[in-house]
Amino acid sequence: MMHLSRFSPPAVVGLSIAVAMIPWAAVPAAPPAPPPAWVLRDGDRVVFLGDTFIEREGDRGFIETALLAAHPEAALTFRNLGWSGDTVWAESRGVFDPAAKGYERMLGLVRELEPTIIFVAYGRNESFKGDAGLAAFRGQLGKLCDDLRTAAHANAPQDVRLVFVTPHRFESLDADARNAALAPYSQTIREVAAEKQAGLVDLFARLPEITAGAAVTENGVHLSNVGYAQAARVFVEAGGRPLPTESTDPSAALRKLVVAKNTLFFHRWRPANETYIFLFRKHEQGNNAVEMPQFDALVKEAEQKVQNSAKELR
Amino acid sequence: MIVRIAAAVLIALSVQPALAQRGLKDIPPPDPAAELAAMEIADGYEVNLFAADPLISKPLQMNFDPQGRLWVSSSSIYPQIRPGEVANDTVTILEDRDGDGRADASTVFADGLLMPTAILPDDLGGAYVANSTEFLHLADTNGDGRADSRKVVLSGFGTEDTHHIIHTFRRGPDARLYFSQSIYIHSHVETPQGVRRLNGGGIWRFQPESLALDVFARGWVNTWGHVFDAWGRSLATDGAGGEGIYYAFPGAAFQAAVGTPRVLHGMNPSSPKYCGLEIIGGRHLPDDAQGLLVTNDFRANRVCRFRLTEAGSGFTSEKLPDLIHSKRVTFRPIDVKMGPDGAIYIADWYNPIIQHGEVDFRDERRDRTHGRIWRVTAKGRPLVPRIDCKQLSAAELLGQLESPEAHARDMARRELFARGGEQMRPEVDRWLAALDPKAANFERLRLDGLRLKQGFDRGSATEVDLPLLQAVLASPESRARAAAARIVCDWADRLEAPAELLAPLVDDPAPQVRLEAVRALATLGGTRAAELALHAVDHDRDDSLDYAVWLAARELREAWLPAVIDGTFVDGGKFGRVIFAVRSAEAGAAVPRIVARLREGGLSATDRAAALDCIATLGSPQDLRLVFDIVVDPATPPAEASTLLGHLLGAQQRRRAVPAGDLIAVEKLLASSDDACATRAIEAVAAWKIAAAGDELAAIATQATRSPAVCGAAIAALGALPGNASREVLLQLAKAGSGSVQTQAAALAALVPQSRELAARQAVAWLATASDTAAIDGVYRAFLTAKDGAATLAAAIDAAEASFPAALAKSGLQAISAAGRQEPALAKALETVVARSVGSAAPQPASGPRHAMTNADLDAFVEFVRTKADRGRGEAIYKRESLKCVSCHRIGDDGARVGPNLAAIGAASPLDYIIDSLVYPAKNVKEGFNTLVVLTDDGQVVTGIQVSRSDEELVLRDAIGKEVKIPTADIDEESAGTSLMPAGLIDGLSREELADLVRYLSELGR
Repeated sequence: MMHLSRFSPPAVVGLSIAVAMIPWAAVPAAPPAPPPAWVLRDGDRVVFLGDTFIEREGDRGFIETALLAAHPEAALTFRNLGWSGDTVWAESRGVFDPAAKGYERMLGLVRELEPTIIFVAYGRNESFKGDAGLAAFRGQLGKLCDDLRTAAHANAPQDVRLVFVTPHRFESLDADARNAALAPYSQTIREVAAEKQAGLVDLFARLPEITAGAAVTENGVHLSNVGYAQAARVFVEAGGRPLPTESTDPSAALRKLVVAKNTLFFHRWRPANETYIFLFRKHEQGNNAVEMPQFDALVKEAEQKVQNSAKELR
Repeated sequence: MIVRIAAAVLIALSVQPALAQRGLKDIPPPDPAAELAAMEIADGYEVNLFAADPLISKPLQMNFDPQGRLWVSSSSIYPQIRPGEVANDTVTILEDRDGDGRADASTVFADGLLMPTAILPDDLGGAYVANSTEFLHLADTNGDGRADSRKVVLSGFGTEDTHHIIHTFRRGPDARLYFSQSIYIHSHVETPQGVRRLNGGGIWRFQPESLALDVFARGWVNTWGHVFDAWGRSLATDGAGGEGIYYAFPGAAFQAAVGTPRVLHGMNPSSPKYCGLEIIGGRHLPDDAQGLLVTNDFRANRVCRFRLTEAGSGFTSEKLPDLIHSKRVTFRPIDVKMGPDGAIYIADWYNPIIQHGEVDFRDERRDRTHGRIWRVTAKGRPLVPRIDCKQLSAAELLGQLESPEAHARDMARRELFARGGEQMRPEVDRWLAALDPKAANFERLRLDGLRLKQGFDRGSATEVDLPLLQAVLASPESRARAAAARIVCDWADRLEAPAELLAPLVDDPAPQVRLEAVRALATLGGTRAAELALHAVDHDRDDSLDYAVWLAARELREAWLPAVIDGTFVDGGKFGRVIFAVRSAEAGAAVPRIVARLREGGLSATDRAAALDCIATLGSPQDLRLVFDIVVDPATPPAEASTLLGHLLGAQQRRRAVPAGDLIAVEKLLASSDDACATRAIEAVAAWKIAAAGDELAAIATQATRSPAVCGAAIAALGALPGNASREVLLQLAKAGSGSVQTQAAALAALVPQSRELAARQAVAWLATASDTAAIDGVYRAFLTAKDGAATLAAAIDAAEASFPAALAKSGLQAISAAGRQEPALAKALETVVARSVGSAAPQPASGPRHAMTNADLDAFVEFVRTKADRGRGEAIYKRESLKCVSCHRIGDDGARVGPNLAAIGAASPLDYIIDSLVYPAKNVKEGFNTLVVLTDDGQVVTGIQVSRSDEELVLRDAIGKEVKIPTADIDEESAGTSLMPAGLIDGLSREELADLVRYLSELGR
């Protein structure tokens, strides 16, 4: 496993923060109540975890940019750990190993990154198993939740905030059937969120409301840029800020910096040629592993540019 | 699967990047004229430069569009992006506007790409591009000839190795996009139909419009070549597999396929590795070139030709003399395409260094700027007129399907696909109606018409042309019937009874039709499809066809198994189908049905043998008893008894299944005069731990009338039998001077599982007097393959101190190395012995390779090899028995298969790499030759190269080339080993001899 330097937000000068204490400690565990509200706080280290929806967000940057823009008073840093086709079992992360090993590696990354808040976006790929897969999904989502909290902060896992994201709807040819399968998964995510005192971004329910049913995907499954811009509004609203006005690319300059930072971080945590750099052929090219930590300084530098640009939005 | 080391900073061994490819001093100047002059070109052909840097650089793939323009993807980033480097690789369009065979216009269509290993025009002004983790679509929306829209079509492709990332784009005759990924890649791709995953290599089949994505065939190391023939059959090459041309069909799996216990093979065993593949032909080329396959042996700087002949369900392939051979190390042909003028175009990656495993990513000799496209023409023959398909009417495009040039047919078909079914379908119908049924090419043209409809299809009910499909399924031309079988699958969701359409084809006289029908039925699924697919069992089956039915039986297991168990399966009176299905799918639940049928009697001899094999392989202990009783029946011929015993032993070994009841009766077979039968009986006694047979084994062990193999088996069996009696016998046999050295060594080896300590003490005493190399090797190996064996032997050697001979210590060190592992305790003990022998108190690092060299030494040595060494003397040294080269390596068809084939080593590898690999065998291990070290539940240590792995079983090839099957359930631990090549093999050579050997190797393949 690679060592990532813990990312910490650069200091934001002249901040006065008055963030309400999170009320979720008071929420009873059962019966499931609506999930608690979540907010972003100054200094938050945010991790995005999920499938293609999260992975492509790294290249598009709409959600990250919108959250930065909606919290100009807070220094926030983001690390995107999305992986195409992934599930709550980390099925895309095994590489040469079984998925369980990939799951361990993912938790190891979270341990190194020490996030204060983690967005967890799964359920779409799992939904192809239909109702038969629901119980296993519920169990593993809960386990993932606990494991992430412990990984992020072993001494005070209860302090690590989790935010679950329900999948947006399919718009593919068989969308009706697919969404019928997706609905109970979304419901499960809501319920587990309530049980686990996690926050929620309910794309499944809220995205069609704010778009009045307009298309958000580019291929029936994955969000278009317009879709990401709309999803970003849902994230901002769910985090306790007013629903931003509709706009296709409200902070284009900032978004470009966000994407540049994410690209550098991608080359850092999922480098090409992993076989030779870290794995079973590292006796041949393992010397090139020295280049990997060199990305850290570049990521940091790119992050500073993001912060500087975000500040200007104030 | 692989034990990983957690720290990124941990850098293995003493990697010396500066060492790699030191021999690469004479990099020729990058002058295209000089490169051309250095080519040896086949008689009757000439070569000219179509394009070179700076018009293009570092081409990775090229494809023509229907206008005749050549699209080229290029990467200067390969093999690895540098920290902070912005991905800016390109796609370039080359045009030869004046038709003089030279590109006169070049446009950078797109930049900002990250290692675009593949490019395919979409024929609408845009292109599909492989972009590391992504499959991109680039479009030119404003018509200025440059991409202005970039869309991720698919994502989630692995990048574990950047020459394995998705590559080799090709538009199929079915309008689908075919593309490959290589062995180290793990891909996870979300589509509207769910996640598609592929671990390891394979060819994908993709429809961009619906995003329907499936795996067409799996395996290979690097499927860098894939082409369709006129009938739509897939031929492929492997850039590292070494079996030449491969014939692929839906569901086929080849070497290195992940998760399958069975693979198919290429048609040219022991051939080098090939990149890019095209079928050549057309009016410009001479008669003897028509239909040949052209591919590139980029390692050996050659462009190669093959001739295919139809045979059985596939082909045979014959290698012909090269089209081009260059002595220049920088000539790296990696792609080949027929062009619009009838000439052959070859993309030359131009690089002194290939690969990035063996040579440092950042080696400054990697070329990042040059690249060439060469054009090969036939001397004195007219070119074919170039066609811009965009300018042709639909009728003209359809007319092009009759062109003698496959390139013209492909481009016309692509243009028709690009114009779409809505407009083109009526045109196709008119054209089909006007075809002359008596024309020689009628059957192919009608299939082309069907294919166009398949390609136009966007999923609506009206798009299915059932009458046309039925007509082609009933075509007198078998290749048309075979092709149509596949189309049934694409339309199955809108056909009433698709399986019934295939019913006549599973009993077709042509094996290829049966193969395609079986694969199509497996795709359709259902009980009826399973019943039909198993008809193929009634007919002859070559390897591909047998594999196809085997796979169908496994895939359709849930469709036929319940029916077989409850007796409702319709086998048409051919019980062989059921046996085949049960055996193929390893469906143990159906064995009682086979037992019952066997008892009914009346099975043919073939079916009876197959039934017994099936029961022995899959049956319960009660079922196995039935087989056992036949084994010990005096009426059973020894050969059959031996075969059946082999199955029973397999059941024990692979799944710990033993026949029920008392098994002492097998003792009778120990006396068999049939060596194979007696040996199997001895192995059975050991496997089933029949202690009562111990005395007889002891007697056999030294019987002069028995063959050495039988005696050896008896000794080994004694080691497996519990109790003091067998141990005493072995101790006696192991004593020096008591019998032959082979017997002593075998007895020592057999003692190891009985008692490590006892065996180690005994072995140390014996080694002090031993001289037979093979026997000594065998004893070392016995300790090295037992859990804690090496450490126990080390302790005994330490205890023996001065009495242990230094010469034997050296062979011990070699044995450790040959086991492909590090055994620090034993190595230290042996090194101490060696050190003591030269008067040193401690194991010295100098006991490393005799020919270890500093960088300066190496420079001098490389020069010495160039100027003073002799190839002929080197060849004689290579063949020396003591050096063991030929016992592991092949050169072409000669030698063993343990290590890589060295046929092209000289062409592929610079001098310093060859020297380095001889001195430090573990340092650079060829792709596919890394070892695994497996510890089993019963304390066995197996080291070898992975041959295959499934959920049930791991197969390794060990240092003597033997395949070892290990049930996955028995695996206790696994770790990555080093190389099977022993270190120190060349320590016995003088500097001059080593130079000669290096010189010989360096000229192989040149």
